[in-house]
Amino acid sequence: MKKNFAGKVWKFGDCIDSGNIKGVMAGIDPEFHTKVRPGDLIVAGINFGMGSSAEDAPRSLRDAGVAAILAESISNIYLRTLINLGLPAIECSGISAIVEEGHELEVDLEAGRARNLTTGNSRTFAPFSDHAIAILEKGGLIPYLKSSVAKDR
Amino acid sequence: MGMTITEKICARAAGKDRVRPGDMIDAEIDKLYIKDLRFSKAEDPKGLYGLFKEILKEMGIHKAWDADKVVINFDEQPARSMRRLEGQASAKQFSQEHGATLYQGYEGGIGHNVMVEKGHVKPGEFIVGADSHSCTYGALGCFATGIGFTETVGVLATGRIWLKVPPAIYVELAGKRPSWIWGKDIVLRIMAEFGPNGAVNKTIEYGGNALSDISIESRLSMCNMAVESLALNAVFPPDERAIEYVKQVSNTAFTPVESDPDAEYESRLRFDLTDMEPFVAAPGVPSNGQPVHEFIGTKINQAFIGTCSNSRIEDLRVAANILKGKTVHPGVRMIVTPASYAAYFQAREEGLLQIFEKSKVLLTASECGICTRPSLATEEVCISSGNRNFPGRMGHRDAQIYLGSPATVAASALAGEIVDPREFLPS
Repeated sequence: MKKNFAGKVWKFGDCIDSGNIKGVMAGIDPEFHTKVRPGDLIVAGINFGMGSSAEDAPRSLRDAGVAAILAESISNIYLRTLINLGLPAIECSGISAIVEEGHELEVDLEAGRARNLTTGNSRTFAPFSDHAIAILEKGGLIPYLKSSVAKDR
Repeated sequence: MGMTITEKICARAAGKDRVRPGDMIDAEIDKLYIKDLRFSKAEDPKGLYGLFKEILKEMGIHKAWDADKVVINFDEQPARSMRRLEGQASAKQFSQEHGATLYQGYEGGIGHNVMVEKGHVKPGEFIVGADSHSCTYGALGCFATGIGFTETVGVLATGRIWLKVPPAIYVELAGKRPSWIWGKDIVLRIMAEFGPNGAVNKTIEYGGNALSDISIESRLSMCNMAVESLALNAVFPPDERAIEYVKQVSNTAFTPVESDPDAEYESRLRFDLTDMEPFVAAPGVPSNGQPVHEFIGTKINQAFIGTCSNSRIEDLRVAANILKGKTVHPGVRMIVTPASYAAYFQAREEGLLQIFEKSKVLLTASECGICTRPSLATEEVCISSGNRNFPGRMGHRDAQIYLGSPATVAASALAGEIVDPREFLPS
C-alpha cells in the first residue's frame, strides 16, 4: 500500500448504509461497478457505511479496486473493516465541500492531508496510527497477523 | 480527573491504570459473540472457519485463543439457504473442535437476547460481537461493540483488538417516566436530538434519577440503538436492578464499575421524561424521530414486532395488552417474532400467544426474521419495533419503514394507520 496516492473522485451523499454499498454501491447506482476504475477514490458525506457489519459491502469496494474512502464521518465497524481489509478509510471533515465528481484528489496518509489537484484546495485529517499503517502496509489484518507471528518466531 | 465506566473497562482490558479519550489501546477481550451467518461463505469464499484454520496453520497453533469466551447462536432457524445451512454446519464443527458454546433450537432465538438471557453478559466486561447490534449488552454495565468478519477471525486467533478510547456523551434522564413510554420512545427522542451524526464513534452513557424506573428490556432496546447513532457503545450504570437481573441468569462472579463523580464528558444532554409523548421515526434513518402526533393517519400495510431491538417479554406483554379481544385491521399483516425461545415459551405461559392468535397476528419462530429478509413490496408501508428503517432494509427500496415502540406498532395494527397508542391502552 502506498502512503501517498492520487485518484479520480466519485462523490456520494450522506447516510449511505452498508446494505446500499453492497455490490459496489449497487443500491445507489446499479451501474457504478461498470464506471469505477482501479485507483479511483470515493468521497462521501456523513455516516458512510452505517448499519450492518456484513463485510460483503466493504469487500465489494476493495475488489473493485477503490484506492481509498474519504467521508465526513464513517461508521466505526465499517472504518475498522476497511482498514482490516487493507483499504484506507479516512474521516476528513469538509472533504465534500472541496471536491466534485471527476476531480483528481491526492491523499497523504502520514501527513494527514487530502489535496484537490484540480482546484488546489486541501483539507487535513487525523494521521493514521502506527498500528493502522502497519496493518495497511501488510494489505490487511489477516496478512498482518500471519507476518507478525512469523516475525515473533 | 476520574474516569467513566467505559474508560475504566478499557483501562482494565488494556492492563493500564488509566486511559483518556483518544488513547490507542490493545484490549483483551472477555467475550466474543458470533452469529451463524458469519460462518457461511457469504463474506469470504473460505468462510470464517476456513480462514481461521489458515491462520492457525501459519501461527503453528491448534486452538482458538480461549473458546470458553466464544458464544455462537443460530439467528435463523430453519436455515433458508444452502449457504446459511453450510454456515451452521461449519459453526457446529468449530464449536465441537474448539469447545465454543453454541445455542440452537429451543435454546436459541435472536443471538443478542440469548447472550443476555443465558448469562453471558456481565457488568464490567469488555465484549465484542460479530454483529453491529452487539452494543445491546451495554445495558448491563459492560463495554460492548460490534466488529466485522475479518476482525472476528483476528480475535479468535489473538483474543485482542486495537481501539481508540472513545469520548463520552452523558445523557441524563430526569423526571417521571409516564406508563406509556418505553425504551424505544426514549431512545428515538434522544437520537433525534443527536441528529444522524451526533454520536459518531463516541460512548453514550446514561444516568439520572429516572433510570431506576427503566426496565432491563427497555435499557437493552436503548443500547441496541446506539449503533444507529453511529456511537461506538452505549452503557447504563450497573445499578441494583441490573445486578439483580445478572444474578438471576448467571452464577459466576463479576466486578461492576461505576463512573467517578469527576469523570470527564465531552458533552451532557438532559431529557425530562415527564409528560413525554410516544415517539416515531420516519423512513430513511432512525434519527428521523418526532412525536407520534406528527404521523397520525399514515396508512400501513405491515406491523412488525420483532428484532434484537424490541421483541422481549415486556414488549410482548405490552402488545398483547393492546390487542386483547380485538382483531388486526384487515389491510394489515401483523407479524410478531419473539426475542428468543425463552421469551416465546414465557409468552405462551402467560397466555399472550393465544391473544395474538385470536387477534389474527402472524406469529413466527424466534429469529432475525423479516428484519433482514424481504417482506415489503414497492411502496408498502410498515411500522416496526426494529432498529433500522434504511431504504430497502425490509424489501423494496421504495417501501417505507417507520419505527416505534411495540405499543405504537400494536395500536397502529388495529387501526390500519399510525395512531397514538395512549388511546388504545386499556385503562
